[in-house]
Amino acid sequence: MLKRKSYDYYLILATAIVLAVISAICVYGMFYFKFAELQHMPATAKALYMSRMNQAISPFIIALIMLLGICVPKRLLPVKWLNRFTLGLLTVVGVIAVLGGVVIALKVNLMITLVLQFIVLGLALAGNEQLHFEKKGYWTRVGSSCMHLGLILFILDLFFYRYHILHLVLFWVTTVSCVVGMLACFYSAAIVRLVGKLVTPHKGV
Amino acid sequence: MIIENFPNQFSQIGQVLIYILAGLSGLIGLSGIVNIVGRRPFLPQPSRILFVLVNLLFLTGFGLICWLHWHIYQDLPLQLPAKLVPWLNQQLAAMNSQATYAFSLYDPAHPPRYVIPLWIENEKYYFWFMAYSLMSYLAWRWTDNHRLRGTLQLFLAIQVSILITVANPFAHPLTKFFTEITPWFKAQSNPMVQLGMFMKLYPRMVFYYNAIYMWMHPPMLFISYACITITFITSFFMLIKRELAIEVLGYDFAKFGYFMLTFGMLLGYPWALEAWGPNWWWDPKICSSIMMWAIYSTYLHTRLYANKKGMWYFTSLLGVLCFLAMIFTFITSFYFPGAHSFVYEQVMPPLPYKVFGYGIV
Repeated sequence: MLKRKSYDYYLILATAIVLAVISAICVYGMFYFKFAELQHMPATAKALYMSRMNQAISPFIIALIMLLGICVPKRLLPVKWLNRFTLGLLTVVGVIAVLGGVVIALKVNLMITLVLQFIVLGLALAGNEQLHFEKKGYWTRVGSSCMHLGLILFILDLFFYRYHILHLVLFWVTTVSCVVGMLACFYSAAIVRLVGKLVTPHKGV
Repeated sequence: MIIENFPNQFSQIGQVLIYILAGLSGLIGLSGIVNIVGRRPFLPQPSRILFVLVNLLFLTGFGLICWLHWHIYQDLPLQLPAKLVPWLNQQLAAMNSQATYAFSLYDPAHPPRYVIPLWIENEKYYFWFMAYSLMSYLAWRWTDNHRLRGTLQLFLAIQVSILITVANPFAHPLTKFFTEITPWFKAQSNPMVQLGMFMKLYPRMVFYYNAIYMWMHPPMLFISYACITITFITSFFMLIKRELAIEVLGYDFAKFGYFMLTFGMLLGYPWALEAWGPNWWWDPKICSSIMMWAIYSTYLHTRLYANKKGMWYFTSLLGVLCFLAMIFTFITSFYFPGAHSFVYEQVMPPLPYKVFGYGIV
């Protein structure tokens, strides 16, 4: 069984490795695009290139989405349950992938992650002290929850690409969530001061 | 001719201004070098005054750029003879019927005007370096480490020298823009030629020059670039010697820079959908930007564990790496072809998508 600290460490390590591989594929794509002179090729050649790059990167995007699914519940669960949850999630997603296809499995994973993140946000808003965050402070936790909710929504939204209006509406929800989250998380001290002033205006002046 | 008058005035005043800026920045750079190599602070008060003057000059130049853009808006409308309007509007209406993003019809009482953002062509470097100048002044005031102050000054001097030697916005103002529109204002005899020119200029005006996203996406990224530069300097200092005040200063700028970068990149998304449709994934600039964002995100996450042994060192390395990724991302625009390229303007047709709608192009 993994302990919480080593659990966090391995999650960060795995995320960093996946991000590094994605970056490497991106750099390869850039050089390939230039040296194959795709800009002078017909549209079909460009479409083929995009399709090949999508194929190359998809396992790592899947890994990233899975990692996201494992990361979110660490705020909620004790380590013992976290291990069980991870195993359960991987099993469920694996079974769905075999039976219904990878795309549906990823959507299910993202939906589970989204529900859990909503719970995290709700508890953070309620000021629950039991949540496992690296940092303390009400606004920092609310902000971090909002930001991660935005990230999950953004990835989920990519699946709705063909539904133009829904896609854009979800995109703007994502953006608002990320922006509010970043403001609350990064500037929590200023928000505390501001809220303090608003709650007790001109006290002692 | 009006199209030549106000750019000439702009250029004359701007050139004087930028040479004064160069002189003052040279002095700031020299004082920076002495501070970096010296054991004690060197002339902090005069350096501060110089810094303030440089910022004021930057702001004055920016005011001048605003003046140029105001004149473009005021004096260069795309005006057509009344007899062409019904035919043109018929064409535009026909195009709109197939498009996801429609054109406004031509209104003779209010002909279309350029509302050009203040950061196109060489002006973007001006804006970027001005943002650095203003923010590095804040950083300068918030620290009392004379070597850090000196490095901030040196970077400012380097940026101003780049501005003058390769990206001077005052020497040849908005070259590409004026090259595009000059034929319109010089030869307006044949109505059919005029219509042809209008149909070339109008889409570019609506979806590029006047695009609302153009007002938000690039400046946010340039402000974040300025923050990344300051974080890079502080991270470099942290690699040499751990000093909490410097680390906190760098982190403050990193947070603001990350906010601007993320928000700016997000705002680029709907614009890309509007302008290029589905064919912009795997564009080199976007690949490198996502890479930079990933490194920046990793930096902020590892910063959470900065109090653990060796972690501050790793975090500082990532701060340096962020800057290198930023430089790489920026150079990408020059070296790699793609939708954001400055070299191959026609690599991706600039505006087909909004004209012909989803799924057709």
